[in-house]
Amino acid sequence: MHRHKNGLRVAVLAAIVGVAGAAWGQQPSTKNGEWPYYTADLKGSKYSPLDQINAGNFSQLEVAWRFKTDHLGPRPEFKLEGTPLMVKGVVYTTAGTRRSVIALDAKTGELNWAYSLREGNRAAIAPRQLSGRGVSYWTDGKGDDRVIFVTTGYRLISLNAHTGQPISGFGKSGVVDLKEGMVTGTGKQIDLENGEAGLHATPLVVKDVVIVGSAFKEGMTVATHDNTKGLVRAFDAKTGKLLWTFNTIPKPGEFGNETWENGSWANNGNTGVWTQMTVDEDLGLVYLPVETPTSDFYGGHRPGDNLFAESLVCVDLKTGKRKWHYQIVHHPIWDNDLSSAPILADINVGGKAIKAVALPTKQAMLFVFDRVTGQPVWPIEEKAVPQSDVPGEKTAPTQPFPTKPPAYGRNFIKIPDDLIDFTPEMRAQARDNMARYKQGPIYNPPVVGDPSGFLGAMELGNASGGTNWPGAGYDPETHIVYAEAGQSAVSPISLRNPPAGFSDIRYVLGRNDTEFRVSEGPGFGSAADAPQPRRPTVAPAKPAAPTTTAGALTVQGLSIVKPPYGVISAINLDRGDLQWQVPYGETPDVVRNHPALKGMNIPNTGQGGSVGLVVTKTLVILGDSQVTTTPQHPRGAMLRAYDKATGKEVGSVLMPAPQSGSPMTYMVDGKQYIIVAVSGGAYSGEYIAYSLPSDN
Amino acid sequence: MLKNALALLAVLLAAGLVCLQAQSARSVWDGVYTSAQAQRGGTLYAANCASCHGTELNGGESAPPLTGGDFLSNWNGLTVGDLFDRIRVSMPADRPGRLSREQDADIVAYMLSVGQFPAGSAELEHQTETLKQIRLDAANPNSGKQK
Repeated sequence: MHRHKNGLRVAVLAAIVGVAGAAWGQQPSTKNGEWPYYTADLKGSKYSPLDQINAGNFSQLEVAWRFKTDHLGPRPEFKLEGTPLMVKGVVYTTAGTRRSVIALDAKTGELNWAYSLREGNRAAIAPRQLSGRGVSYWTDGKGDDRVIFVTTGYRLISLNAHTGQPISGFGKSGVVDLKEGMVTGTGKQIDLENGEAGLHATPLVVKDVVIVGSAFKEGMTVATHDNTKGLVRAFDAKTGKLLWTFNTIPKPGEFGNETWENGSWANNGNTGVWTQMTVDEDLGLVYLPVETPTSDFYGGHRPGDNLFAESLVCVDLKTGKRKWHYQIVHHPIWDNDLSSAPILADINVGGKAIKAVALPTKQAMLFVFDRVTGQPVWPIEEKAVPQSDVPGEKTAPTQPFPTKPPAYGRNFIKIPDDLIDFTPEMRAQARDNMARYKQGPIYNPPVVGDPSGFLGAMELGNASGGTNWPGAGYDPETHIVYAEAGQSAVSPISLRNPPAGFSDIRYVLGRNDTEFRVSEGPGFGSAADAPQPRRPTVAPAKPAAPTTTAGALTVQGLSIVKPPYGVISAINLDRGDLQWQVPYGETPDVVRNHPALKGMNIPNTGQGGSVGLVVTKTLVILGDSQVTTTPQHPRGAMLRAYDKATGKEVGSVLMPAPQSGSPMTYMVDGKQYIIVAVSGGAYSGEYIAYSLPSDN
Repeated sequence: MLKNALALLAVLLAAGLVCLQAQSARSVWDGVYTSAQAQRGGTLYAANCASCHGTELNGGESAPPLTGGDFLSNWNGLTVGDLFDRIRVSMPADRPGRLSREQDADIVAYMLSVGQFPAGSAELEHQTETLKQIRLDAANPNSGKQK
C-alpha cells in the first residue's frame, strides 16, 4: 500500500514535471525539476518546488551515485566547493585541482565529458585556486546550449554543452582573456601572465549577457595597496564581446570618486565582486555585492568612505550604469566583504507589495531594500561606532544598522554574557583570556598588538562567521529567508609594521613582537601547475613559539564563546522578524566527550562554520561542517533536513565528510536527487547524489 | 570435511589475530614520537605551515586549526597515517610534496607535542602504512582523560 501510494505520487509528479516542462518552453527552470543556476534561479533563492524527498522519507535517502574528483588534476582536492547545475538530464560542474568542467549523467553520475585548460604558471599564481564554485548555462532555446565558466587563470570559456568543446565563435576560439582590461593605478594594464586577478564564483548568465566579477589575493599582508582594481563586466553570451564595465573604484568624473579622499582612488586596488550576483530580468537590474578594498584591516592609504567598497550596487543590465547603491560598511577595515548573493524577494509589508532585495552578511544582519529605488524597507540607522587609534587611520564615525529584521546571529562578543559558561571555572578562564584583547561592539577597530597591552582587537565573524560565500536561501511562496550563521569564529585583529621592503602599506596583519608571516588565501599555490617538489635546504625560521594559555581563544579545548556555535534562522520578510532560530547541526565530539562536562545535560550546541542550503517545498536542507561520532551514527557528518515551518529536524543521512559546497536538488524521470560536495580532513573531494530507494 | 573445518578454523583464528592486532595497535597516547623530533618539527612548522595555520596552530581565515577541539573532532577515530598522507598529498599548499617524508613526520610530531600527547623514546616513522597503525584518539583510552 505504502509502496503503491508513493509510486503513484512519483507518476503524478513526473506528469506535472512533464507538463510544466512543455509549458515553460525551452528555457531551463526549477519548475521543470532542473537546477539551472548556481542559486537555482537568477534571484538567488536556492529554492526548488520539488517534494518527493520530504520529512517522511528523508532519512531513507541512499547514495544514488558518487563522483570522486581526485584525478581531475595532478593531486586530489580537499576543498571541493562546487554546486552543480542540472539541465535536461545532465549535471554540469567544476572539480579538481585543475578546475575541470565535467558533464555527468544526472541519473548515474557517468562522465559524459570533461574539459580542462592547462594554464601553467598563470594558474599557479592565481589568487583564487582549486575547483571553484561551478559553472553557468546558456541556451538559445534552439539547440545551441553552452556551459560557461572562469578558469583558475581568469579566462572566460564557453563550451558546447553536448560535447565539452570550446565554442569557436566565442572570444578567441572559445576563450575571453579576462585579464585584458584589468588595471592598477590610474589605468596600467596588468600583466596577462603574472597579473593579479581570478574568480571562484560562477558567471551570471541572463538573457544573452554573461556578467563576470573579479577577485584578488587575500588582503591581510599584501605587498602594495596599489594592486589590481576590481571591476564587473558584461559580455555577449554568443560572441564574448565586451558590452559594459562597471568600475567598483570609480574614476574621476564617475559617481563616488570623491569618497576616495586625496585622490586615493588612483593608488588603491581590490574592491572586486567575488561572490554570486543576482539579476531581476524583468526590471533589467543587476545587483552587485562588492568586497573590501586593499588592505583588509588598514585604510590609512585610502581616507574616505571608499565607494563602492562593501556596498550593494544596483546597475542597469543593458548599460552597466549605476542605478542606486547602499554602503553596508563605510571605510571598511574589518574584511566584511559582501559575501552572499543578494536575494530578490517580492514581499508584502503592511499591505504594500514591495519588490525587495535582501542581503545576508558576515555580520549576520540582513539588509532589506526596495530593489527598484534602493530605499530601505525598514529604517536603517547610522549609529556611532568606536574610533581607531592606529596612526594614519581615520575610521568612519557611524555605521548602518537595520532596525528590522533583528540580527540573525551573534556578531560581536558581549563580555561576559557570550563567554563559555559550562562551568564557573571555564567562564573565569575565558574572562581572563579575553582581558588580553581590546573588547568592543561590532566594528571594533583593529589595534597595533602589543604583548604588554592588548594582543589585538576582538572581532567575531568577519573572517568566517555570519553568512559567508555559501549565502542563504528564500522561499518565494512564504517570503521567508533561511540563513545559516556561524557564531563562534573568534578572530582578534592586530596590526604591525611590515618588514622593510615588503610592502608600501604602513600596517599589515600581525604583531611587531612576532615573526612576520605572509597570510595567503585559501588553497593558494595549490593549483594544478603550482611548482612541484623542491626540497628546502635549511629551514630558516625559528621554532614556533610554545603555546601558552595567555590570550588563548579556547578554554580546555573548547570554544571561548558559549553555544550555540552556529544557528539556522527563518527570517520573515513580510514582518521583518525571526520566525524561528535553531542550532545548526549537532554537538561536536569535543563537547559531548569532554571529561569536565561528564554528567551534565548540555542542549545541542550546534556547530560553527558557514554552509549553504537548499530550500524545497517543505524542507530546508544543509549538511554538517564537522565530523562527529555519536551513539546515533558512526563517524561522519550528517546531511540534515529541517521542517521549513518550525525548524525542527525531521531527517538526516550520513555523509563520509563535511559538506564543503552548497547542496542542490533536481528531478529526472520522476526521481528527485540531492547533490552535495563533501571534502575535508582526510577525505578528498567528492560529489554525492542522494535519492530515495527505488522501491520507495 | 574435518580438514575443511580445520582450515576454516585456522582462517578464523588468523582473522581473530588480525583483529586483535588491530585493536592493540598503538595510540597517540603511547609516546609515538620524541621531543627532539618535535623540536625539529617546530622549526619546519614555523617555516612552512605557520603562515596559514598560525604560530599557535589555531588556524586562520584560510586554514583550519591543527590543535584543539575542532581539530580533534575531525580526526578522532582516524590514524596518524591518514593525517600524514593528507599532509603529503596537499601540503604545504604552495608546493605540495615539497617536504620530505622525514620532514612531514617531524611536523606531525610537533603537532602531537602541541596537542600535549606524550613524547616517547622512539621517533615517529615516515611510512604511511606504519603510521596507519597509530590511532588518533582524542581521549586517552587508558585513563579516559580527554584531550
